Amino acid sequence: MSYNELTRRYFDDPARSGTLEGPDCYRGAAGSRPAGTWVQFDVRLEGAGAGARVREARFLAFGCPHVIAAAGLVAEEAEGAAPEPRLPHSVHALRERLEAPVEKLGRLFVVEDAWIAALRAATGD
Amino acid sequence: MSAGVVYLDYAATTPVAPEAAARMTECLMLGGTFGNPGSASHAYGEEASARIEAARAQVAGAVGAEAVEVVFTSGATEANNLAIFGTAEYYKGAGRHIVTARTEHKSVLDPCKELERCGWSVTYLAPGTDGALEPARVAAAVRPDTVLVSIMHVNNETGVIADVGAIAALCARAGSARIHVDAAQSVGKCAVDFAAFGVDLLSVSAHKAYGPKGAGALLVSRRRGAHLMPILQGGGQEGGLRSGTVATHQVVGMGAAFELASALRESEHERIAALCEHLWGALRAVGGVVRNGAAAARVPHLLNVSFEGVEGESLLAAVRSHIAVSTGSACTSATQEASYVLRALGRDDRLAESSLRFSFGRFTSEADVDRAAAVVTGAVERLRRIAGT
Repeated sequence: MSYNELTRRYFDDPARSGTLEGPDCYRGAAGSRPAGTWVQFDVRLEGAGAGARVREARFLAFGCPHVIAAAGLVAEEAEGAAPEPRLPHSVHALRERLEAPVEKLGRLFVVEDAWIAALRAATGD
Repeated sequence: MSAGVVYLDYAATTPVAPEAAARMTECLMLGGTFGNPGSASHAYGEEASARIEAARAQVAGAVGAEAVEVVFTSGATEANNLAIFGTAEYYKGAGRHIVTARTEHKSVLDPCKELERCGWSVTYLAPGTDGALEPARVAAAVRPDTVLVSIMHVNNETGVIADVGAIAALCARAGSARIHVDAAQSVGKCAVDFAAFGVDLLSVSAHKAYGPKGAGALLVSRRRGAHLMPILQGGGQEGGLRSGTVATHQVVGMGAAFELASALRESEHERIAALCEHLWGALRAVGGVVRNGAAAARVPHLLNVSFEGVEGESLLAAVRSHIAVSTGSACTSATQEASYVLRALGRDDRLAESSLRFSFGRFTSEADVDRAAAVVTGAVERLRRIAGT
């Protein structure tokens, strides 16, 4: 298995891996470790209503390099964005950027599910 | 590309020993022994034939066989195929049942599956969780219609050594099945004594013992009167069992490599055992590790470890630019399939996939092992942090 430069970078240096704690932090997870892919996101929001923004995002991921890279990418790109329960770009776009094999699409949907779960917890949707 | 990467995959293949490579190059070019060994009408052919017979004696000497019992093949895969299909064809009138183990190499399992498609019955035995196969369980599986028992000597993933002598002795009491042993991983790593084993057929590979790829042999016991039907038809070389011009340079390299491996076996054993235990000690310190094939009898050249809380593909991706090892999964372009050998030992898919097989060899140093330990423990700790495990 070979990985493109973007995948390699976010796999080798997952700067946003970890967790967040505090009353303004929200958590969502999807997948399962026994099934091979599990992802958790923590988000911290700032502001309220239409002006709300994701101040910080962190992730934990049990999965292949594409899953770890995808989670890192989502966490990084979400910061500063509105806390909407969807990915900034689609899962298909994520797969194309990481050049993940199409067979791994299901694993990337776990990343999306975890992100949506975290944002729903944050926004109460 | 591989510069600076520590090679710890000697169970996959070994570099050709310089001594063997030197002998091989003597058989390639004009001025060397390039003749067709079947050309008895001139000196070129006679010279090649003499080199092959000398190699045959070297191979036989390394595994406790008579030279006449050595049938050169293209490798252990062909030897295993010849043993299984050749025995099945010869003895099909006596019965159509085979006994083997789930942990055999694909070159044994796939021929067995092919025979099943042709109406044969095959019993696949599971080893214990330690990787060991009880000889009594093998013998108990022998039926009146069993014509072949095929059991590997040293498992290529776990390094566990089967007591093939005991298996042969017990099977002889249980019936009249022929006994085949896949010893592809054995030469130079543990004692191989074809005669003392009391088996009918034994497969060996050159490239696992510092010989060239594309060479191997099937030993066919003369004393036990083993019979086979050939699976290749042609010039009738190798006593009619393996048609095709014998590749002089390949078997000459194999002979030299086997002789050397046999001579170095005992002195290498202690050094490599120390390297293996040194690495295991370092890996164990990271916690959450399982040593696969922890049976008392195993070769020291191989260490198979599963890492809990780590995903297999990520583990390999994290270490592969530093060390060359095998994993507990078969990777295709996108997906992984957990090792059937480790699953047969009772490991679940996740644990089997997160396994690394380290195999040591003649050129492995303590510095190599220290580097491997640092790389792997660092990767495991990092991936566990990312996974929150």
